Amino acid sequence: MKSYEEINRRIEAGEAVVMTAEEIIDLVESRGAKEAAEEVDVVTTGTFGAMCSSGAFLNFGHSEPPIRMNKVWLNGVPAYTGIAAVDAYLGVTELKEEDNMHYGGAHVIEDLLSGEVIQMKATSYGTDCYPRKEIETSFTLDMLNQAYLFNPRNSLQNYAVATNSTDHILFTYMGKLLPNYGNATFSSAGQLSPLMNDPSCRTIGIGTRIFLGGAEGYVSWEGTQFSTSAPLNNGVPTRPSRSLAVVGDLKKMSTDYLRALTIHGYGISMAVGLGVPIPILDEEMAKAVAVRDEDILAPVLDYSVQSRDKKVLRDVSYAELRSGSIELFGKEVRTSSLSSYYMARQIAQELKSRIEKGEFMISRPVQPLPEDRSNKPLDIRSKEGVRV
Amino acid sequence: MTRRKFLLNFSPSIVNQAIIFRLVKDHDLMLNILRAGIDERGGYTLVEIEGKPSQIKGGVSYLEDSGVEVKELNEYVSKDEERCTNCGACVSICPAEAFIMTESFKVEFDPDKCIACGLCLDVCSPGAMKLQI
Repeated sequence: MKSYEEINRRIEAGEAVVMTAEEIIDLVESRGAKEAAEEVDVVTTGTFGAMCSSGAFLNFGHSEPPIRMNKVWLNGVPAYTGIAAVDAYLGVTELKEEDNMHYGGAHVIEDLLSGEVIQMKATSYGTDCYPRKEIETSFTLDMLNQAYLFNPRNSLQNYAVATNSTDHILFTYMGKLLPNYGNATFSSAGQLSPLMNDPSCRTIGIGTRIFLGGAEGYVSWEGTQFSTSAPLNNGVPTRPSRSLAVVGDLKKMSTDYLRALTIHGYGISMAVGLGVPIPILDEEMAKAVAVRDEDILAPVLDYSVQSRDKKVLRDVSYAELRSGSIELFGKEVRTSSLSSYYMARQIAQELKSRIEKGEFMISRPVQPLPEDRSNKPLDIRSKEGVRV
Repeated sequence: MTRRKFLLNFSPSIVNQAIIFRLVKDHDLMLNILRAGIDERGGYTLVEIEGKPSQIKGGVSYLEDSGVEVKELNEYVSKDEERCTNCGACVSICPAEAFIMTESFKVEFDPDKCIACGLCLDVCSPGAMKLQI
């Protein structure tokens, strides 16, 4: 049994043994979890996929005379200003007005990171303390007081596999789905994915330091739709389960790890690069991080069913998904990953190298994430119906 | 035998002539029409021509002499490596299997296999695939 402090002392001394969640698999298989736990201090994970529940808090500073912004547009994309005078939240999926889904909040964030000049317009009703009613100006990222990502749901633990039973093409957040089960899409880094490697979130909790968009970030809360009720296979949930709310300084991030996405026929999203270091405290953690794509199952769903309850056509392993095709009703269906395994690997490697160099310390969670949560549906209820 | 792709533009004055028929018959070429259309500006055909280099040369001269505007087009679409995140969304969409997920999980595009269907264009969410015509 190793403590967080012991591992950090080894990181500080440049002596920590760090492996990625891919590299550890062979070690645990050949030498056993007990020996692996003695040898390895930290295992790094990574994921790089569309994470719609992302966005940035921005503080613009005060104009002369000052304004209490009531509405604000950044390059034509509305941001939410129903908070203090010059604070705003820019969501990645927000669309530029009258632009037909080509540009959105994610593009503004990518432009900010690229050092581009952003055009801002804001309006207000004017008050005695904030007399200005309109402002048009320009800024770059370094001219803002604060700019930090605050993503309510990232790094989802497992997800569905999407396919299409109809005779016409479907455009979904799971990409383009060809008719008659013409293809199947999935989105998880599987064996490299952070929450697949610590499936019960034993070492990941509020305050955990993570890799976010190229910079250091933190787990700030349970992610929205956090759920612990999915059935398990090899200890790993077989349905979308836990998720993380995360925060990090946008000014230190990079377009290498944050990328605006235009999902045709659906909208705008952002690919977020995220990695979590997992301390190998004991044999149990070594066993957990040795999980392989073969052991992780995901449900294949027919996305033509326009319902929150889609029947599971079958469960497939990430190994089968990554092989290029899966079998469905006796037919070979080609698969596509929507998240980048290549980038997930790069993130796990980058995080590994930062820990090895003593630049990135691990942290003990301040508070664990919930142990018992299930997702509530939204039903149509009358005011009276709620009280019954 | 070699294979080359051409974009052929036909002005309205020649759209009624059996130019493609003569190209095949007189020049002994194998043709695979990838795309064709006609509108008020005339017609166009995106075609893959297979034959001996000298035959293809002869065929192209014939087309030009007949008033067809010939543009060689080996890339119908191109992949911007900077924008590509190597996710692989394009891999299962391409009917010609022109996108390969390599063992190191990089997506490689083989323009020789491309049949110019354009299905990969709107499936690429980071916007790495660009139309070249």
